Amino acid sequence: MKFVHLLVCFGLGMTLMSCIRDEAPNSEADIVSCTLSSDILKRDPIIENAKITITVNPEADLKHLAPEFELTPGATISPASGTALDFTSPQYYTVTSEDKNWTKKYEVICIMSGSITDYHFENVKSYTNTLLKYSYDILFENDENGNWSMDWASGNAGFALTGSGSIDKTSFPTSSTTEGKEGKGLKLVTMSTGDFGKKVGMPIAAGNLFMGWFDVASAMIDPLKATKLGVPCSYVPLYLKGYFKYKAGDVYKDVDGNVYKDVKDKWDVYAIFYETDDDVKIIDATTRFTNSHLVSIARLSDSDRVESSEWKEFYLPFVTIAGRTVDEEKLKAGKYNVAIVLSSSLDGDTFKGAVGSTLYIDELELIH
Amino acid sequence: MKKIILLICLGLLSGVQSATLFAQQDQNAGIIKSYLVGLEYEVKAGFNIGGTSPLPLPVEIRKIKSYNPTMSIGIEGNVTKWFGPERKWGARVALRLENKGMSTDARVKNYGMEIIGDGGERVKGNWTGDVKTKVKNSYITVPVLAVYRFNNRLRGNIGLFASYMTEGDFSGHVYEGYLREGDPTGNKVNFSDGKTAPYDFSKDLRRFAWGPEAGIEWRAFKHLNVCGDLTWGVNDIFKKDFDTITFSMYPIYLNVGFAYLF
Repeated sequence: MKFVHLLVCFGLGMTLMSCIRDEAPNSEADIVSCTLSSDILKRDPIIENAKITITVNPEADLKHLAPEFELTPGATISPASGTALDFTSPQYYTVTSEDKNWTKKYEVICIMSGSITDYHFENVKSYTNTLLKYSYDILFENDENGNWSMDWASGNAGFALTGSGSIDKTSFPTSSTTEGKEGKGLKLVTMSTGDFGKKVGMPIAAGNLFMGWFDVASAMIDPLKATKLGVPCSYVPLYLKGYFKYKAGDVYKDVDGNVYKDVKDKWDVYAIFYETDDDVKIIDATTRFTNSHLVSIARLSDSDRVESSEWKEFYLPFVTIAGRTVDEEKLKAGKYNVAIVLSSSLDGDTFKGAVGSTLYIDELELIH
Repeated sequence: MKKIILLICLGLLSGVQSATLFAQQDQNAGIIKSYLVGLEYEVKAGFNIGGTSPLPLPVEIRKIKSYNPTMSIGIEGNVTKWFGPERKWGARVALRLENKGMSTDARVKNYGMEIIGDGGERVKGNWTGDVKTKVKNSYITVPVLAVYRFNNRLRGNIGLFASYMTEGDFSGHVYEGYLREGDPTGNKVNFSDGKTAPYDFSKDLRRFAWGPEAGIEWRAFKHLNVCGDLTWGVNDIFKKDFDTITFSMYPIYLNVGFAYLF
């Protein structure tokens, strides 16, 4: 009998102590969605972790925009959602989590997409994470009036997740270099993603830069899907011109780490031009050459993927896909996108390449 | 001829028999001698059922989706010295080889973690989603116990145990959820569609474990006891400088089995 008592007591004790406790209030402080009247929007707002980019039509009144936000349940925002603010310069919102322990400051930028066509890689800012002790470059472009026009996207945020980056910005695959053709330039290096990268089946990261945005939320599930290619474009591009230097890394490996002695790594540059509609607002890298919305593609031919220690020009024509045409009305309405994509390893998207492959790029131009 | 063979067989058989008898008598004599000075020997075998768990469950754990005690066994040899003519009280020392293991599948919310990779890479963040954990630790354990005899059938014991972990495995993976990089305001990184991230904290397990132990034995037959022993580890199973799991975890196991009493 005593034995039974003891068992019962033990059982009760265990269950009481091991009870699932009441759920704690949310710690997250996210803007989940951003809404503006659709007739002033040129494209859907891009919501990143602490930044929202709103692209509006030229007729929009930037001085009195009142975006509305949906937040993490329980979170609060200041200034309040729906407040009219002057977006001729970036506005800042602070979101506080439900448990009040966390705040996040969002930068909200409104742009009337001025379609710039030449890219000099002279402007650099950085993203620094003091908690995790890393920092990487973000290259951006200004328009002819010196106003911010666009940030170049890269996979650096995904690389950061593997813990392989440090406060040294050149520890990231995509960085700015002072050794450009003119002034600063772009440096892309294929890097190992270390222990964690290997464990999640992504052993290398090719240096990459593209027009569009990198959806870091999907970076682990499908890095190609996370690579969103395209910015609004009001002209029909004809040629892509630029300068490069390239040195292939020593050992070419595939995703499983198998070494291919006879294979030399190659670099890649291409540009795509495509039509958008309500279904396809942006193309991700999974269908970059196959999407039915593509109009034309400019791509480096395989024989031109050479090494060069001196700056060398490339000049690539946009080749229209048979049967595809450009609708002038839609072009005026901003329904076309363009994207330039650069990579230090041609097959970096499938994690094949040589660590150390280094590509320098400068003075890109879209000729139309 | 047949007779001779039969005789030889008989002779052989009896020889073997008498030898066994002598040995048994010898052994029995040893046990009786031991019994007279109050010493008693026992061998035990049983299953360890329990968990390696934080206590109480931290608020981050939202749901235990599955729990499996796995096949964990303990084998023990012990010696008890009884005191006094009544032999109510005794002292017991044992040597036990045992596994303590489990596998769980839990759902967590905002679970802070930090993992250091083989190359020194640091991944830190808050995980919301599913976590599968497998624990399988092997120990050499020495319990020192006071034994009390309630009656001829029932005995209880209480004391302390000290364990040395010879082999440890604490590993698993996270899936179906998302990581907030760094802290709850960091980049949100989804894991779904079968994408998992493995972890292995086996190297961070502490070698030494100790805690109270209490048990009960019921004498089912002359030589056979049914027994249950609870061991409650009171030091964290992880090393002091291990911060990945923000709360301490303790091995709490009930060993249920049989003992043969000599």
